[in-house]
Amino acid sequence: MASQILPLELIDRCIGSKIWVIMKSEREFTGTLLGFDDYVNIVLEDVTEYEITAQGVKKTKLAQTLLNGSNIAMLVPGSEGPDAK
Amino acid sequence: MDPSVTGIQEPFDLIRLSLSERVFVKLRGDRQLTGILHAYDGHMNLIMSDVEETIMIVDPEAATNGQGVVNIAKRKMEMLFVRGDGVILVSPPART
Amino acid sequence: MDESPRPPSDQSPPPPPPGAQSHTGSPTDFLKGIVGKRVIVRLTSGVDYRGVLSCLDGFMNIALEQTEEHVNGVVTNRYGDAFIRGNNVLYISAAEPL
Repeated sequence: MASQILPLELIDRCIGSKIWVIMKSEREFTGTLLGFDDYVNIVLEDVTEYEITAQGVKKTKLAQTLLNGSNIAMLVPGSEGPDAK
Repeated sequence: MDPSVTGIQEPFDLIRLSLSERVFVKLRGDRQLTGILHAYDGHMNLIMSDVEETIMIVDPEAATNGQGVVNIAKRKMEMLFVRGDGVILVSPPART
Repeated sequence: MDESPRPPSDQSPPPPPPGAQSHTGSPTDFLKGIVGKRVIVRLTSGVDYRGVLSCLDGFMNIALEQTEEHVNGVVTNRYGDAFIRGNNVLYISAAEPL
């Protein structure tokens, strides 16, 4: 039998936890996952945006934010993001 | 959602209220248009007339400190169809 | 065969917002909560629009009031109203904590 859990079920279990969002472009976000929908549009709280450029990483703090799912490449559940090791 | 004071319930209302008015349109590829809006559809395809197009050309030679010298080219078209997928922003004239 | 029903026209309303999840905090709930508030809309190009959110639809098309365009932290334009086509939107963020 194939997988017993759907990909988005895993993400659903992360609601309320930290999540690391990696976009298709050189851009990443971390924050607390508040919710998402079938398009993987994502609502985050206490957000940090990371813009990765040749000059380095630019960080921006944001309040509650809706990320457009069409630009999202990957999600890392439970991760504090690129700074955490 | 409360019907706001402005009478705009969905984004396309903003465009509908701008028909026959002069609008500003920002397009991909550093292009801008101003012209009279005659028609639009759900893709944001537009028909505009009396259009002035402004094209910003960033000179990569001078773009050493991030802010390159911008050459501006302008041209006029009498009647224009704009394909919706290039549209970034439409701004109607100031409401009264 | 030529009496078949017409396909929906271009002017028909867009599909309803993405399927609402039962829990709160879904995109739909977030959007309900920020209409009328100051927001930051960032496009994939990196350009920011700051203004008051009038409304939006299921494509993330957005109508803003009192809009300021910011490029690299500098105000480059102001618009009374602005329609932003949803495909360009990277995120919508509350400009102040909700």
